[in-house]
Amino acid sequence: MDQLASPPRRRLEPLTIALTIALYRERVAAPPEAFVKKKLRFLGQVALLAGIYLLGNKIAGFAHLPVPGNVVGVVLLYALLNLGLVPLEYVQDAADFLLRHLVFFFIPVAVDLMNWGTVFYRYGLALAFAIVVSTILTFLGTGYLAQWFQKGEKPCPS
Amino acid sequence: MPQLMILFTILLTLGAYLLAKALYLRYRHPLLNIVLLGAAIVIATLLALNIPYQSYLPGRRIMTSLLGPATVGLAVPLYRHRSLLRQYAPAIVAGVGLGSLASMLAAGGIALVAGLPREVVLSVLPKSVTIPFAVEIARIHGGSPGLASAFVVATGTLGSVFGGTLLTWAGIKDPVARGLALGTGAHGQGTAMAFMEGEREGSMAGLAMTLAGITTATMAPLLVRLLLRN
Repeated sequence: MDQLASPPRRRLEPLTIALTIALYRERVAAPPEAFVKKKLRFLGQVALLAGIYLLGNKIAGFAHLPVPGNVVGVVLLYALLNLGLVPLEYVQDAADFLLRHLVFFFIPVAVDLMNWGTVFYRYGLALAFAIVVSTILTFLGTGYLAQWFQKGEKPCPS
Repeated sequence: MPQLMILFTILLTLGAYLLAKALYLRYRHPLLNIVLLGAAIVIATLLALNIPYQSYLPGRRIMTSLLGPATVGLAVPLYRHRSLLRQYAPAIVAGVGLGSLASMLAAGGIALVAGLPREVVLSVLPKSVTIPFAVEIARIHGGSPGLASAFVVATGTLGSVFGGTLLTWAGIKDPVARGLALGTGAHGQGTAMAFMEGEREGSMAGLAMTLAGITTATMAPLLVRLLLRN
């Protein structure tokens, strides 16, 4: 048993040592400026996203658009990226991180449901019907039309 | 102490998120929805500790302050996949456009005919798009953000559980069409399912999710005027 168990353990050791050294280099021995710089760059990216969001809100409000500011913000950032006015590296770390945890921000919004229990109690059946029918129609509408357009194109390679 | 309450509500929400996410990652079942599960944990805790909704609001404001900037970040995947966007432009524009219109017309129309209150009708209108867009679309037209988020999650759960089967049953086999339908019909939850079908389906669903949000937001004022003339 011991003979069987010891070789893999010994083989793991160099790896463990290498990992420990790598971790030490990154977490402890790395100059603190590098760490601070990384964090600051991330915060700067968040600030840039926030600025574009606020600008989107301002545009929507100023032009009296009946469209939410965050929608304007998405279109604005897409345009800025395409025009090369904002390079992808200026926003991508923060965007990827925030999008990975986007669902977290939905929870506080859904807590509002605390106040709406009676709505489901009174109109639950009608709401369920509306949601089921409209979801089926959306899937079929999008699916059929998109497939029809796809068939007009060259056959899909995959 | 209000500061302590803010700290507690934020930690509670964070804990609920981590717990719900761990459960989802463990079982990967579409019925284990992180938003609904997380909110249920928070609501149950608040009710159990007799904390009124009003005490949750300051923390809610702090937590959702990053939702706007995070949503703007949706332009990044759109930009990364811009070649797909160009390649499949006709299918995307037509599919997402029709889907968004059908979703609003059917949901709003049925809710209206069923005699639901105006605020509820306006909250069910953007039910197919991702929560940050749906919440704002509902709000600017006079609906309730909380209700809208619940309808969005209900739609997403329905679409992610039965959507793939429905598409197969309807003979929709093209991966681009399947991805677009999952993203337009069931936003992020549908996109997660589309990624399980394949890379192409997932990318198309992600594009469709964001584009359906923009399309729905643009069409909503017209539909509100059409359905709820006042």
